[in-house]
Amino acid sequence: MSDIILSAQSVGRTFGAFRALSGISVDFQRGKLTSIIGPNGAGKSTFFNLLSGAFPPSEGRIVFEGRDITGTPQHKFAALGIAKSFQITNVFPQLPVHENVRVALQALVSRYQIWQPRSSLPELADKADALLATVGLTDRRLRAAGTMAHGEQRALEIAMALAANPRLLLLDEPTAGMSPEETKAMMDLIVKLASERTVVLVEHKMKLVMGISDRLLVLHHGELLAEGTPDDIRHNDTVKRVYLGQREH
Amino acid sequence: MLNPLLVARCKQHRVVLAIAFLIIFPLLMPFKAIAVNILIYGLFALGFNMLFGTLGLLSFGHAALFGGGAYACGLVMLKLGLPWYVGILGSVLAGMLIAATIGAFAIRTRGIYFAMVTLALAQCLYFLADQATDLTGGENGLRGVDLKTIQLPGMTLNFVDPLTRYYVVAFFVAVALFVLSRILASPFGAVLEAVRENEARARACGYHVRMVRYLAFILSGGFCGLAGALQALHLSIVPLETLAISNSGLVVMMSLLGGMGTFFGPFVGAGIFLLLENLVSLWTVHWQIFVGAAFVACVLFFPRGIWGTILMGRGR
Amino acid sequence: MDGITPDLLALQLFTGLALGAIYVLLALGMSLLFGMLTVVNFAHGAFYMLGAYAGVLLLSIGVNFWFCLLLAPLLVGSLGLLCERFLIRHLYGRGIDYPLLLTFGLSYIMVEMVRILFGTQGLPFDTPDALQGASDIMIGYFPTYRLFVIGVAIVVVVALWLFLERTPYGLIIRAGARDPQIVRILGIDVARVWLVVFGIGTGLAALAGLLAAPLQGASPEMGSSILAEAFVVTVVGGMGSLVGAVVAGLLVGVVVAMTSLVAPEFAQVAIFALMAIVLLIRPQGFFGRAGLMS
Repeated sequence: MSDIILSAQSVGRTFGAFRALSGISVDFQRGKLTSIIGPNGAGKSTFFNLLSGAFPPSEGRIVFEGRDITGTPQHKFAALGIAKSFQITNVFPQLPVHENVRVALQALVSRYQIWQPRSSLPELADKADALLATVGLTDRRLRAAGTMAHGEQRALEIAMALAANPRLLLLDEPTAGMSPEETKAMMDLIVKLASERTVVLVEHKMKLVMGISDRLLVLHHGELLAEGTPDDIRHNDTVKRVYLGQREH
Repeated sequence: MLNPLLVARCKQHRVVLAIAFLIIFPLLMPFKAIAVNILIYGLFALGFNMLFGTLGLLSFGHAALFGGGAYACGLVMLKLGLPWYVGILGSVLAGMLIAATIGAFAIRTRGIYFAMVTLALAQCLYFLADQATDLTGGENGLRGVDLKTIQLPGMTLNFVDPLTRYYVVAFFVAVALFVLSRILASPFGAVLEAVRENEARARACGYHVRMVRYLAFILSGGFCGLAGALQALHLSIVPLETLAISNSGLVVMMSLLGGMGTFFGPFVGAGIFLLLENLVSLWTVHWQIFVGAAFVACVLFFPRGIWGTILMGRGR
Repeated sequence: MDGITPDLLALQLFTGLALGAIYVLLALGMSLLFGMLTVVNFAHGAFYMLGAYAGVLLLSIGVNFWFCLLLAPLLVGSLGLLCERFLIRHLYGRGIDYPLLLTFGLSYIMVEMVRILFGTQGLPFDTPDALQGASDIMIGYFPTYRLFVIGVAIVVVVALWLFLERTPYGLIIRAGARDPQIVRILGIDVARVWLVVFGIGTGLAALAGLLAAPLQGASPEMGSSILAEAFVVTVVGGMGSLVGAVVAGLLVGVVVAMTSLVAPEFAQVAIFALMAIVLLIRPQGFFGRAGLMS
């Protein structure tokens, strides 16, 4: 297989008269952890939404494993092998934690089965337990998902994203709104996940991802400002000027 | 406070409980005809509630599914000369078919558009039935949907007898309740919950949300069509008004009154509504003014409905 | 299809425009309420019916038709204000379904009240003397009253446009529709703006009902069938779009008129077919914003 898993080919996006993103071309390498960073309003979320298919680009193409997936409807992404987490917490709040993951798993095997009981798919329940163990939520399995702490809900989201056993995992600011302890736990989890699959991460706080990323993309005013290893970025003068200079010091 | 374990146990065996209730219900009612009406409209509301209660889709065109079922049953018996049970089968299919047709347009829209488009398309069916006088009898309704006796192996049931008629209708309602509980407990039931809870998440999981809604609409059509057939047999006529907007409004009202998204709410709502209607109409012909007032009061003060409020009080 | 001459077609076109004018007034009110308040008024048909009965009442106490045109919408609009102030206002922010259900309940009450006060039978409504007969419009004679209806609709559309585009109050309404938060921050009482909008919307429905009365009489049920047609117009034109309401209203009117020329029994069904086609090709309607639908 090619070592390019996902590539954006001169993609851009406008909202009415507003140009959120223009002419971005990037290749994401298989097995690597790539972080997309940039100051507020740089177009990170827009870029994430284009990659994850939340809305199509106004121009350009998005290619996953050699296949043009531009404009593919959202519900087909799981089957392609792409999963995402949302920037805002996004679980099924009134369903038990275990059922959240079980439903996510079920999407791959049974969507329109209306007669057999759910218990006719026992392997899903077991897999759900395994995934909950991976993200450390085993002792929460019967709680209503919406009643858990914020960090736990984010972890649950990751478990749900993992349900389809994706080759590419897209995470949108996974530590947003987390306490320092929760952030630490989440970063550890991300590193663990990245050892088994390709991860693309959008993050606002540069410091957080410097240590764990294989590659970094820096967006600024809707354009790709720089791309490279954490070292390249650290020593890039332009980046220092627009990003480090403004926000971190 | 009720023991939560007991509540959970009740929920598990709700179909059995419902059947037990259906058996003793007519003994509590002074007029069997009202009991039959409550069952029929309860079933109609149940089908409606499948969409609004479980998916949040507010349809104002359910009269088309109910009325379509009623006409289908009548036409199968009168024009094709087939037995009543084929009529019932035909009504379920007709309900689903009409739902599939209306749904094909309406499901493309969401929220309030959905309510408007379903209303408009149901109105379209009303006009068609009004025009097709040769087939439907037009304004006079489809007359002569008579069922006097039901032949079973080893016995003959007298459908004219009110109590027998009640139990025949109750049998079909029990079957419908059983089917619904199977659907809700199935993997597809899990998908319905997921779509209701969080549409975007369900989509990201890989569910085709629009298709899920469409299928739910079609299933709902099956229940409503069955209710329509039972009404046709009960009244031995299908009035044109079965397809009217007011009938769609009625079922919304009953679901609202009973409690959206609860299993028994539709029956509670239908029961209270029809009993009230009977009481008020003894006193004045303008009972609709009370219907409207009850509707307004429900929206303002009991958005969860009566059954829903009772369940909430028990911590559900 | 013998006997369908170009002149006949042109006259039927005018008939369609007159019918369309009534749809336009109804749909304008409906779109205004939805665009500004995100309320779908299921009592819109009932307000339309009340407009006709307000006319009946006013004429019976000796008010002449021209004052009726002003007074009936004012009366019914005031009733609309009361409904908004005391009932619907409590439901803002509780989901879009609740105002819809509430107005549906209100329509039952209004229809039944009219039945109690005016009887269940419909009442005739005479065309005012000055507007009886037909006028020569170059291609043939056309009923004067229908021309008058078209004229009133034009005046109302222009007046409404001037009000929204050229007055400070209109500016606030337009801003409030786009972002109520901003208007509130600016220190403007949004609740009062919404109240006024509700009054205008229901008043327009009443005017439509009054104008329709000489064509079809007044009956308690006249609102329930027109409601579905008003929905069609609103869906075809695009929810919340005033331009859409005007274009779609006229189009639907013309479609009904033309269909009744060739196949009268399908005139009612034709407009629903039109809606189905529009939904398939452009689900958000002619001038609707795509985002509203999903």
